[in-house]
Amino acid sequence: MTGPETSKPNLPRILVIDDEAAIQRFLKAALDTVEFSVHQAMNGHAGLAAAVAVRPDVILLDLGLPDLDGVEVIRRIREWSQVPIIVVSVREREDDKVKALDAGADDYLTKPFGTGELLARIKVALRRSLKQAPEPVLNIGELQVDLPHRRVTVRGEEVQLTPTEYELLRMLATHAGKVLTHSQILKQIWGVAYMEQPHVLRVNVSNLRRKIEADASRPQYLLTEPGVGYRLKSGE
Amino acid sequence: MNEGQRPYGRSRRSSYWPSDTPVPPVRYGFLYALLLVAAATLFCEQLRPYLSPINMVMAYLLVVVLAAVWLGRKPAVASAFLGVLAFDFFFVPPRFSLRISDTEYLFTFLALFIVGIVISSLVARSKERLEALGVRERQTAALYQLSRDLAGAADTPALLEALVGNLGASLKAPVAVFLQRGPQFELAAHSRELPLTPSDREIALWCFRSRRPAGRGSDSFTSSPLSFVPIKALANQLGVLAVRLPDEEDPGGAPMRRLLDACATQAALALERVRLTGEAQQLQILRARENLERALLNSVSHDLRTPLATITGVLTAVLDEGERLSPAARQELLETAREEAGRLNRFVGNLLDMSRLEAGALRPQLELCDVQDLIGCALAAVEKRLGEGRIEVRLAPELPLIPLDLVLMIQVLVNLLDNALKYGPPDGEVEVSCRLADGALLIEVADRGPGVPAADLPKIFDKFYRTPEPEGVGGTGLGLSICRGIVEAHGGGIRAENREGGGLKVIIKVPQAAPARGDEAR
Repeated sequence: MTGPETSKPNLPRILVIDDEAAIQRFLKAALDTVEFSVHQAMNGHAGLAAAVAVRPDVILLDLGLPDLDGVEVIRRIREWSQVPIIVVSVREREDDKVKALDAGADDYLTKPFGTGELLARIKVALRRSLKQAPEPVLNIGELQVDLPHRRVTVRGEEVQLTPTEYELLRMLATHAGKVLTHSQILKQIWGVAYMEQPHVLRVNVSNLRRKIEADASRPQYLLTEPGVGYRLKSGE
Repeated sequence: MNEGQRPYGRSRRSSYWPSDTPVPPVRYGFLYALLLVAAATLFCEQLRPYLSPINMVMAYLLVVVLAAVWLGRKPAVASAFLGVLAFDFFFVPPRFSLRISDTEYLFTFLALFIVGIVISSLVARSKERLEALGVRERQTAALYQLSRDLAGAADTPALLEALVGNLGASLKAPVAVFLQRGPQFELAAHSRELPLTPSDREIALWCFRSRRPAGRGSDSFTSSPLSFVPIKALANQLGVLAVRLPDEEDPGGAPMRRLLDACATQAALALERVRLTGEAQQLQILRARENLERALLNSVSHDLRTPLATITGVLTAVLDEGERLSPAARQELLETAREEAGRLNRFVGNLLDMSRLEAGALRPQLELCDVQDLIGCALAAVEKRLGEGRIEVRLAPELPLIPLDLVLMIQVLVNLLDNALKYGPPDGEVEVSCRLADGALLIEVADRGPGVPAADLPKIFDKFYRTPEPEGVGGTGLGLSICRGIVEAHGGGIRAENREGGGLKVIIKVPQAAPARGDEAR
């Protein structure tokens, strides 16, 4: 089911694993332009084979596949590859998203979605897969996170953060544009013991917002993904 | 007459039975007859100087009449006989002897005796008829009372209670009611003081199957102390009425038989009425559900097809007429299609939520949440679509974390904000405010739209309710009912009121529950 595009050898390769022909057709038309080359797989096993054969730069994966559960596909790919995986699913259940993200998916998009949003997510994923080392200084709108100097400024003014808040912001900033689940954040910053205490995270996010956002009720940088986790807006 | 033995003083208003009619026991009757004759004899003795013996017969006739009225037939006959003897012995010469000097007196004796018997039987018969009339009247009153009590009962348990209570009081007898319920023939109700044995049930079942009375006073199972009467409706057999009558009653007698039959008929009518009423109600519920389902289908087909029609129209226009369209028109068309697709998506989401709510599958997963985060997420979803700058947020300072299902509560707020923006004037401001009161979080969403007629305020959270105005504002009538479902699943409440100066305010109340432990977060 794969269609290697030998005519465009230098373009980033996107592997779409989805059993819906209409979605495949739409994604091919929307993505297979001068920017990307698109490869297709209609089920989980074909997708796993294509992931080996094509060596894609980004995988778009539907969770509801006829032969394999999407989360299982993520696990099997993660056994040998760190290629960015963006989950594309009609499932609205937050549990499913969290499961996919915790299994190693990088991002998710709920169908239906606009191509603009899809392209933005693909670019974030590609940037991460192409250049591994993050920028030492991140600029997101008027927010600047200077990692070497542990300095955070908004509109040029330095913001005083507690060590926990800084760690939280640093983690989100180094994954800017990517959604991080509650358990991923809790595990890294507070440790496994805090996995079941998401309120410590909420309080810190709330405090952090008050310091970096202009209007904490309309956050521009630190975005909540309801029921899933948080995402720091990407720099572009 | 001896006051302590007065035989007539026992009238009880609540008694309906022949046993209570004032006939003294027969042995007292003869004693009284004897006393009456003695009194007449004394009386005549006093008047002997002035009366001829023939006229004394009148006094004895009077005694017979009195005895017939007071004491009944047999004592009256006895008094006639005693009167003849006493008259002969005391007053017919030769006195103090039963011999008769003048045979003419034989005719007097015979006349006195026959007249006495005829009078006594006439008087007694009319009295008996009067008594029977009284009994029937009391039975009629009892039946009337029964039918009135039964008519007041709305369901079978109330009906059975009324039946057992009423019959127990009026018959002065414990009763039991057996009913056929589905495949089961069972004891449905009984007086507390009536012990029932398995054999009683057997007899009741026999009575039910044979449709004939059984037990005491009938032809079958006569050794049972209970009397069983079938409860029959027009076509079917409903159950059995069992009565344990006092020993002095004769359940085989015509009046009692009639009464028991009448009671059973009343019970049958009432049971049928309750059953039919229940069926009618069931039918009404079914019809209401059918209406709701029809409304749902109408709503679904309308709300699904309208955006689809727009999208199809736009796509065909762009596909077929693409080159002839100006870039601006093309853009306009495509944007309309995109908006309609979004609307379609939201509608499908609402439908899913609704069905999850109704299936009880939408269980909130409560986690301590930051209220500002909740508001922020809702604003992000709404303002992305409807533009910024119209929603003003007022948060009480230092709100604690509240246990909420963030995803569901965002949905609630998005629905409310959507409505507020949709129904309010185009430039009207919408206010969202959050505060704590009485251990609960209050979230208010207020607009400056037309509000809702006061009578409709409680109805706006019902499924498929749509405000009468403004016309042309599309809505599925699902949004607010989903809001209510979600808020109530949180153990909270939602209500609406019209604002002073116009507009609608929806108030959500969610319990604050355990105090937030936010301060330990570091």
